[in-house]
Amino acid sequence: MTALLSIQQVTKVFGGLTAVDSVDLDIAERSITSLIGPNGAGKTTLFNCMTGLHRPEGGEILFSGRSLIGLRPDEIIDRGVARTYQNIRLFGRMTALENVLVGQHLRLQASHWSAVLRTSRQQAEERAAREFGRELLDFVGLSGREEVVSTNLPYGDQRLLEVARALGSRPSLLLLDEPAAGMNPSETDSMMDLVHRLRDEKGITVFLIEHDMKVVMSISESVAVLDYGEKIAEGTPEEVRSNARVIEAYLGPEVAVQEAAVKAVH
Amino acid sequence: MPLETATGAVRTGLIAFAFLSYLILIGIPGRIGGPALPVLALIAALFFWLKLRRESNEPSREATGQRQDSFDDKPGWEIGPRAASKGSRLRDLLHTHSGTAPILYGLLAGLTTGLLIAIVSGIFAAAMGNGIAIQPVLDKIVPLNVAALIGVSPGQIAQSDVSFIRFIFQVLLFAGAGVLAGLTAAGGGYGLKQAAFLDRLTTHLSGATLTSAGRFAGMALPFVLLAYIAWLGLPGVTAFGTNEGTVRLLLTLIATGSGLFTLRLSRPGREQMAVAVLLGLGVFSMPFILDQFQNSVMGLVFIFVMMGLGLNIVVGYAGLLDLGYVAFFAIGAYTYAFLSAPFSSPYISGLLILLGISPESPLLGYWMALPVAMLTAAVGGILLGIPVLRLRGDYLAIVTLGFGEIIRLFMLNLGELTNGPRGILEISQPALFGHTPVDVTFGLLSSQGWIFLLALVSSALVAFVATRLNESRLGRAWFAMQEDEDVAEATGVHLVRTKLLAFAIGATFAGMAGQLYAARQINIFPENFSLFVSIDALALIIVGGIGSPAGIVLGALALKGLPEVLRGVDEYRIVTFAALLVIMMIVRPDGILPSARRRIQSPDPEEAGAAGEPELREEDPGLRENGEALAKGAGVREEDP
Ligand SMILES: Nc1ncnc2c1ncn2[C@@H]1O[C@H](COP(=O)(O)OP(=O)(O)OP(=O)(O)O)[C@@H](O)[C@H]1O
Ligand SMILES: [Mg+2]
Repeated sequence: MTALLSIQQVTKVFGGLTAVDSVDLDIAERSITSLIGPNGAGKTTLFNCMTGLHRPEGGEILFSGRSLIGLRPDEIIDRGVARTYQNIRLFGRMTALENVLVGQHLRLQASHWSAVLRTSRQQAEERAAREFGRELLDFVGLSGREEVVSTNLPYGDQRLLEVARALGSRPSLLLLDEPAAGMNPSETDSMMDLVHRLRDEKGITVFLIEHDMKVVMSISESVAVLDYGEKIAEGTPEEVRSNARVIEAYLGPEVAVQEAAVKAVH
Repeated sequence: MPLETATGAVRTGLIAFAFLSYLILIGIPGRIGGPALPVLALIAALFFWLKLRRESNEPSREATGQRQDSFDDKPGWEIGPRAASKGSRLRDLLHTHSGTAPILYGLLAGLTTGLLIAIVSGIFAAAMGNGIAIQPVLDKIVPLNVAALIGVSPGQIAQSDVSFIRFIFQVLLFAGAGVLAGLTAAGGGYGLKQAAFLDRLTTHLSGATLTSAGRFAGMALPFVLLAYIAWLGLPGVTAFGTNEGTVRLLLTLIATGSGLFTLRLSRPGREQMAVAVLLGLGVFSMPFILDQFQNSVMGLVFIFVMMGLGLNIVVGYAGLLDLGYVAFFAIGAYTYAFLSAPFSSPYISGLLILLGISPESPLLGYWMALPVAMLTAAVGGILLGIPVLRLRGDYLAIVTLGFGEIIRLFMLNLGELTNGPRGILEISQPALFGHTPVDVTFGLLSSQGWIFLLALVSSALVAFVATRLNESRLGRAWFAMQEDEDVAEATGVHLVRTKLLAFAIGATFAGMAGQLYAARQINIFPENFSLFVSIDALALIIVGGIGSPAGIVLGALALKGLPEVLRGVDEYRIVTFAALLVIMMIVRPDGILPSARRRIQSPDPEEAGAAGEPELREEDPGLRENGEALAKGAGVREEDP
């Protein structure tokens, strides 16, 4: 099976710090893959390299067989790689629907002249875009919130809206940076359900960063682990869970046993 | 009365005093004469009343987080259809207040204002009475104003026979104004529980009838004014006996401005359509009923409206702070000047002779030159845009500011090409079907009226194009870029193209404005295109309301029209505008008529994220489940920063 996304020997250096260190990773089409690792491991940096926000110092990133290195962010999303952000970055003063419409920006064709003249084609396109926007909001569970200004949305809904905005560009690969961060259990459950539906109903390949182990273990088909910029493990959730290096990376060599015992009591 | 309310009242009094000082400074009392003091007191009362209403409205505004789409939602403007329903909500909210609170508030505020007015006019009166010379510029207006404030003739001050009672009277008058404002506010919602009679009365009279009467009265205002202006234009009719031209101009400004409010007061649908058509007819009849002076001022106002609309695309829609906007205005003006004035640089005439064209006659008429001027300005916009693509905020402002100055210095110093400081003279006038407009309209349309008409039509066109673009995907891309440039790019917005489009379209509009300006001035000089033009254009959109075309018209009326009414006190213009701007920003921080988007006060996105996350995480029940997962040997989730 060929990989939809193939990360090869990607390295990103900030000053003296190697945030991502020669990482290799393949993501299969229509899979759900998780990226985990302690804080500062370089997970977000890897996402930034994939979406053109950072330019890696070395390595190659192939998406559907074509290199993403050196492309601008808007060219990358045009290829079909969309993302959400760890610290929510919506267009705050826009309504939910407007956010999703911006998400569709690059899929809209009408010229600016036709917008001034309001030609019937341009109007039809706008109507279709609104319709699709409503569908997407409905899909992520935000129906009825179309006209709410996005900063006024509850926190969990803002995360959902980020997903909807990303879907506006009709991506084939969706990168989710900690989609369930800060959510309560029921919100987390619906986010997990949403991730499944993204893959099953829309056929989108999902690559997500997540700290919540319950989510990671139950949702992912494969898991990759980063530590200090290096990939230290990769495999099915079960394999990764029992990997000695992973446990060490998370807990530190001595406290590993202690800490695990304490948590077990709670 | 609680202490904060008391300090609030004093502060309101201080702001009212500041505003009145501004009016005094520009010489309003002197012009009004005898009834000056009651007029000022009434203005103060109005201000207190607005303040009281606003304060009583604050909680309800925060409770409804939704965007305020209707103008009526803005406190103090509730004459519209929504006022009736709003009253009851207000009533509920305010039941906690005691009935006397607003009256005490008004009294305290009024006392503060009155005392300050009395003290200041007393000091000036004493100084004049003792023959102390005040600064020469001030001497021109101070005696008149102070006399009007105290209610005596200027001669009496010099004889220092102003009785102390008069100052007491000033304080009492303002205190009374404050009480009046408090009473009105109480009647309008505050003390309804106590004022049971008023409550019953309003219920019986049905709020809807009253408010709709008020609404129709408000909507009629511009038409009444227009009719009056037209009547004043008839031979043999005079206004107030003096300063007829200025009065007519002031009324014209108010009529135009109130027209915008009228549009907002009308109900969407058929009523709004009818009002819009009537207003359009009214506005387009103005060039025919005004005289040369008023027309020339209104022409300038609407040239600046075009500028404001163009700059608004760059600053208001795309969020790029451009301080060199005058450059494109200058490019448009000079392009037209080159094409239409007899002056021709040695280079150009050499070229023309080579081409077999006589350099003496104008090359192109106004209409043929229009696309050239627009195109040249657009190219200028792109040329400026390219180097500043990567700059943001302050850096962008500084660089663009430099660009504006460079163009002016260019015009000043390239004498061979631009005739340097001597400027370009005898720029030809726009024709109307090949004739002068005065001939075609049998003298109905003066030359300045024609310019005004052109400015009106062009402004309408520019507003139309700008609004349509803003409502399209381009407008959304601009706004997204303004909100978060990086995310906009990662969401698919082509930054280079989107920014350059903003610069180019904005510059095109400025080029159009510049061309019309050159035609209006007939002779143009490099000093017509100083930094102050950029600042004026920026100031008018800030005062009017960034992002809102209606606000821009109001801003231009206030900033380019009013000073002409105040010609007599020219020395004060800069002080005047500083004061006006400061007061504006206190009273209506989003501008007079802000766009809907600007009106929602959004917290800083980063702050919102920071504030939202830790709270939620601390009591995140998922943590425990994590712990269990960990116990099985998976890994620990560390606390996020
Ligand atoms: N723009 C930047 N400039 C300099 N250093 C950076 C930059 N972005 C990230 N870093 C550093 O790179 C390292 C990796 O950061 P990154 O945000 O990728 O971690 P992460 O795995 O996403 O962590 P978290 O779980 O906290 O989100 C950190 O040490 C961080 O301080
Ligand atoms: Mg991260």
